[in-house]
Amino acid sequence: MRCAVLALSILLVPVMAQDLATGEAIFNVNCAFCHGTDGSGGRGPNLRGSLRSGNLDADIAKVISNGIPGTAMPKFGLEDDELKSIVMYVQSFRKAAPAVVPVEGDPRAGKRIYEAQGCSRCHEIGNQGSALGPNLSRAGVARSYEYLKTSIVDPSIDIPAEYEPVRIVTQAGKRVQGVWVNEDSFTIQIRLPDESFASFDKQTLKEVAHEKKSTMPAYHLAETDLKNLLAYLSSLTGDTNTTETQKEQRAR
Amino acid sequence: MKTIAFVATFIFLCSADAAEVTYDRLVHAQGNSSEWLTYWGDYGATHFRDLKQINDHNVGQLRLAWLFQTGSQGSNETVPLVANGVMYLTTPDSGVDAVDARSGRRLWHYQYQIPKDAKYCCGNLNRGLAILGRKLYLLTPDTRLLAIDTRNGSVLWNVEVASAAGGAYGGTEAPLIVKDKVVLGTAAGDFGIRGFVDAYDAETGKRVWRFWTIPAPGEKGNETWGGDSWKHGGGATWMTGTYDPQLNTVYWGTGNPAPDLYGDIRPGDNLYTDSVVALDADTGKLKWHFQFTPHDVYDYDATETPMLVDLPWQGKMRKLLLHADRNGFYYVLDRQTGEFLMAKAFLKQTWAKGIDEKGRPIRIPGLDPTAKGTLVCPQCAGGTNWMAPSYSPLTHLYYFNVREGCDVFYSKPPAYKEGTSYWSTSVRAAASERQGGRVTAMDPLTGETKWKFPLYSSPWAGTLATSGNLVFAGDEDGYLMALQADTGKLLWRVNTGNRVVTSPITFELDGKQYVTLPSGGVVLTFALP
Repeated sequence: MRCAVLALSILLVPVMAQDLATGEAIFNVNCAFCHGTDGSGGRGPNLRGSLRSGNLDADIAKVISNGIPGTAMPKFGLEDDELKSIVMYVQSFRKAAPAVVPVEGDPRAGKRIYEAQGCSRCHEIGNQGSALGPNLSRAGVARSYEYLKTSIVDPSIDIPAEYEPVRIVTQAGKRVQGVWVNEDSFTIQIRLPDESFASFDKQTLKEVAHEKKSTMPAYHLAETDLKNLLAYLSSLTGDTNTTETQKEQRAR
Repeated sequence: MKTIAFVATFIFLCSADAAEVTYDRLVHAQGNSSEWLTYWGDYGATHFRDLKQINDHNVGQLRLAWLFQTGSQGSNETVPLVANGVMYLTTPDSGVDAVDARSGRRLWHYQYQIPKDAKYCCGNLNRGLAILGRKLYLLTPDTRLLAIDTRNGSVLWNVEVASAAGGAYGGTEAPLIVKDKVVLGTAAGDFGIRGFVDAYDAETGKRVWRFWTIPAPGEKGNETWGGDSWKHGGGATWMTGTYDPQLNTVYWGTGNPAPDLYGDIRPGDNLYTDSVVALDADTGKLKWHFQFTPHDVYDYDATETPMLVDLPWQGKMRKLLLHADRNGFYYVLDRQTGEFLMAKAFLKQTWAKGIDEKGRPIRIPGLDPTAKGTLVCPQCAGGTNWMAPSYSPLTHLYYFNVREGCDVFYSKPPAYKEGTSYWSTSVRAAASERQGGRVTAMDPLTGETKWKFPLYSSPWAGTLATSGNLVFAGDEDGYLMALQADTGKLLWRVNTGNRVVTSPITFELDGKQYVTLPSGGVVLTFALP
């Protein structure tokens, strides 16, 4: 009996080491695209530190398995041992991370900059603004600080596929600009600056250009203003895709 | 330099507002052939469009323009909306798709997730959306009302319509926009619920009024229910109503009393079941009602379309309400007063000697369902049902799908248990009477049949009339067909590969007329070459 226990414990050690490596491999393939290879975030939130959806193994596993509805976080159908490995890997760098440095700047001043710069003409927070550009309601939790900063200073560095700018010239010479929505060999659909959709038969077009330059201009703000704006964006954690739950009205 | 100028222009344009669907556009929907803005296509539910590019001379060349795969299975009863060149449609499991109406390419998709613990009556079914401003309104199977952003499919709010805790109630219909309100009803009459028509603030989702279709003790009409039977009286409101902006009146059909086939538990007329109720659009107060089948024991819901048309009645223009009822009779009412004007049977019926001068059926005694079975026509699912009828102002004809046949009705007293069906046993198709059907063109003022086009199976699909002298109709065997509106001659047909359980629509974009019909997991759109 004792022999058996001993054999088991010898086996366990290499299995666990293997788990961490497996977790890293799965993370690099599936998660790093949004969360960064070191988990510090990018298009997706920073995972180094306290997590919004919970810090327990079970919390992390749940988010990976179910995704977060209404956000860009999809669900991943992993085998049990794969899931355990990836949770272990996330915990390894999360716990090792230094305490979160508080964001500098004044969010209230940043909100005024957001308004003064007319950001809502292309972006939406809550129900206010335009659907042309990315919705910023959860910018503070959905994007890392560095990513937000780059998006303001040099927005063309990373243009999400769903916001790709398109420039169209019709056979008649009419120029139309918008954001790519859907396309096939014969037609293209774009969102116009007034937020409405437009569809074109490619036979009627002279040119369809998928722009590499973001629709959004680069903003050169004073350092304090930039910090304040980033502080404001970092403070946004609301979820637009679920309800602002109204008081439920029960049937009499 | 050029680039900078471009960016500046672009940013400037960002401040413009998207073209929004206003209430005014809904009022004038009939004259707007580039859009289909409500479930019925217009407030009066004439289901007619003045479009004639596709007509009785060229409809033979009609062919598929595009096909959209929803990826969802089930009974596809949606009627798409078309606004600003975008088609909005629902799937049986409460998915919503925005599709480019010219090409069928998807613009966005939203999927409502019914909570795992939700209890609701009637399975996954959805008949479509309502639109106002930049919001779409979706009533879910578990009886919640959602406002969805037309721009990207995100949910703006989600409110409870009725508590489904006990497993009763359920939502299947497309809501109706009335001014700044979203008006809707409930399914589940056969679960012993108490039916209602609700109005919600279109901006916030707050309920503004509720009309109960079963009056409570102390309210007028409660005396038509013996004992406590009103509590589980049914009277569901599971189909979209109609609206007259000038009379500021909403018209809604109500379903059968519960239990459906056993009436001894509920002596009396059972108001306001099997009726049309005329409600004040601002308050939901009852203006008048008309009951088609008092003390129903055959499940003859009156949820068929209350169509609103102005026609000369005995030489004088009148605001009429036209209604072909599940009970086998076609009715004409004055929609201002509720006055009964005429009724006429449109198929074989055996339960009434006729309709008296006040509009009340003269019952043939001894025909109540029994434990051993009673043969009655029309069949339980009715001489017609919820599918759209149409009226063409050019042919002056009323078109609708008729369900022929009879059933043997069996009945036993049931016990009420919350959250379960409150049926009283069942029906069986009568072997002696084949259950077929027909597309029928009828003079709306006399009820005289002008022509009939026979259908092999009893249909669950509606009609669409156009000024191209055409009537499009679907059938149970999967066909979409085009009939000559004045003669009923078959001019074109295609099999969609699945039973048709909704009604075709038509619209014109960039000078091209389209006809759209959902069937099974697909949405088919046809045009001329």
